[in-house]
Amino acid sequence: MIRTLAGLTLRAVVVLTGTALATFALLWHAPGDPALAIALARYDAVVPAAVVEQIRAQASFDDGFWSAFQTWLGPLLVGDFGQSSVTGRDVWPELMASLSYTVPLALAGLAIALALSVPLALLATLRPGGLLDRAAVALASIGVAIPAYWLGLLLVLLFAVHLGWLPAMGARTPAHVILPALTLGLGVAASLTRILRSGILEARAQPFLPAFRRRGVGARAIERDHVAPHAAIPVVTVLGLELAFLLEGVVMVEVIFARPGLGVFLVDAIEARDFPKVQAVVVLAAVLFVVVNLAIDLFYRRLDPRIGERDA
Amino acid sequence: MRSVFILILILVAIAVLGPLLAPYDPTQINIPNRLSAPNSTWLLGTDALGRDILSRLLYGARWSLGLAFVISVIGLVIGATVGLIAALGGKVADWLAMRATDTFLAFPDIIAAVVIAGVLGAGTGSLIFALTVTGWMRYARVARGIGLSLTSRGYVVQARLAGLSPLVIAWRHYLPSLLPSLAVVWTGMFARAILGISALGFLGFGVQPPIPEWGTMLLDARIHMRSTPLQMIWPGLAVVACVLAINLVGDALRDALARQDRTE
Repeated sequence: MIRTLAGLTLRAVVVLTGTALATFALLWHAPGDPALAIALARYDAVVPAAVVEQIRAQASFDDGFWSAFQTWLGPLLVGDFGQSSVTGRDVWPELMASLSYTVPLALAGLAIALALSVPLALLATLRPGGLLDRAAVALASIGVAIPAYWLGLLLVLLFAVHLGWLPAMGARTPAHVILPALTLGLGVAASLTRILRSGILEARAQPFLPAFRRRGVGARAIERDHVAPHAAIPVVTVLGLELAFLLEGVVMVEVIFARPGLGVFLVDAIEARDFPKVQAVVVLAAVLFVVVNLAIDLFYRRLDPRIGERDA
Repeated sequence: MRSVFILILILVAIAVLGPLLAPYDPTQINIPNRLSAPNSTWLLGTDALGRDILSRLLYGARWSLGLAFVISVIGLVIGATVGLIAALGGKVADWLAMRATDTFLAFPDIIAAVVIAGVLGAGTGSLIFALTVTGWMRYARVARGIGLSLTSRGYVVQARLAGLSPLVIAWRHYLPSLLPSLAVVWTGMFARAILGISALGFLGFGVQPPIPEWGTMLLDARIHMRSTPLQMIWPGLAVVACVLAINLVGDALRDALARQDRTE
């Protein structure tokens, strides 16, 4: 157990280092003179060359890739995300402020997705191949093919423009979360339904279930003790992927609905070439991802002991 | 199954023949007739600059489907190479290749693509780079997995004992066994690329105007949602139809592969 934990942690550290390196390499190769870009963004006019040089020296752009990388990485390692290159304000509080919009949206989306996909998958697998099953599969297939930004616009068109029931843009009232959360939730629900459905079908096809049944074990007990845990394995496997899907969905959905969360924060920062903000989002997402995947890996090993044996 | 392939044939035909089928020049601006509703002259109406939407959709197919094809094939080549290096190159190569794969997988790929394309500056080149860099990992995983399972097969052992170079073994003995599974991954990545191209276009980081591309068309249409909602329907519908068709092909391929495995 300790060995696997150490192995997985080492893996996480390697992945995070790689991400940091890739991020910095990307910023390093961004077109244009970064010092000039910062100066222009900060002073919004013609800037004297001396100011540009001062900014360049501060950020140690001239010392070559590796030393610039070290200068860049140092503060990040101790959790210092620096200041916005445009406004000069600290990035961290602004990042947290945007998260206070993103986290409720993501949770609401996830809740909608679970509330839709679990009953739908259970209903579909009552009679595999039946009308209900085929309808659920068709619905889910269409659902995964619809891009979040289009679905969002369609929902706005229906519920905000035509019916006028719900507010569309912004985040002033709690009701503003409904349409974005629905957009997000429907997309996640579609892919979750597919996975759950095949997981349940596979779990029900296990060869030892008829033996239990003949021995007189109740249907309910079989479902609870043997089908449900088995069906949970593929779901847990793709939980990391679903989280990625959720985060991507959040970015797109926030942009559509003009909700001032992480997505708008990121897109605005990219457009303003405000690299400290961009890298803050990247680092935050990478850490979140690695930690979640580590947790999933550990949980997964408990759920399915065969995995530990396979790649110790 | 057959209907799925007919659907694909139609899509390919549209992408290849689109410009021939298009009734107008997709970049021809016609301000007096801007935001026209669908009628007999403009079958799907016109956009904010009076350009024919049908023509833009047909030309756009070339960008959306063509670029997605290029991106998914480059990803296939990179991914298969990394996967085979991991499977054949010994322990150190395997560890390095897989950690590189993990690193790129550790991140929501569309967000990574947005960051990459945005930071490098919007344009078709950045778009291709952003979506290939974030789109090869699943191929690598699959190629490595199958590659490792082949290592102890008789013909592979024989080839190695006969002194064939790893390159030849990879090309002649591994690749043919990999291709069916890689094809299934490819359908998924092709669909992903279509979604990615239009997502980046929608955010303004993709193919740049005046080139007609479905995501950018959607971005333009969004502003006029209240006056001409239909304008927003078409490009989205095009994306959904393509992604759905490709996913169906992927499902059919996967089922065929599973059947073949069972009979073996």
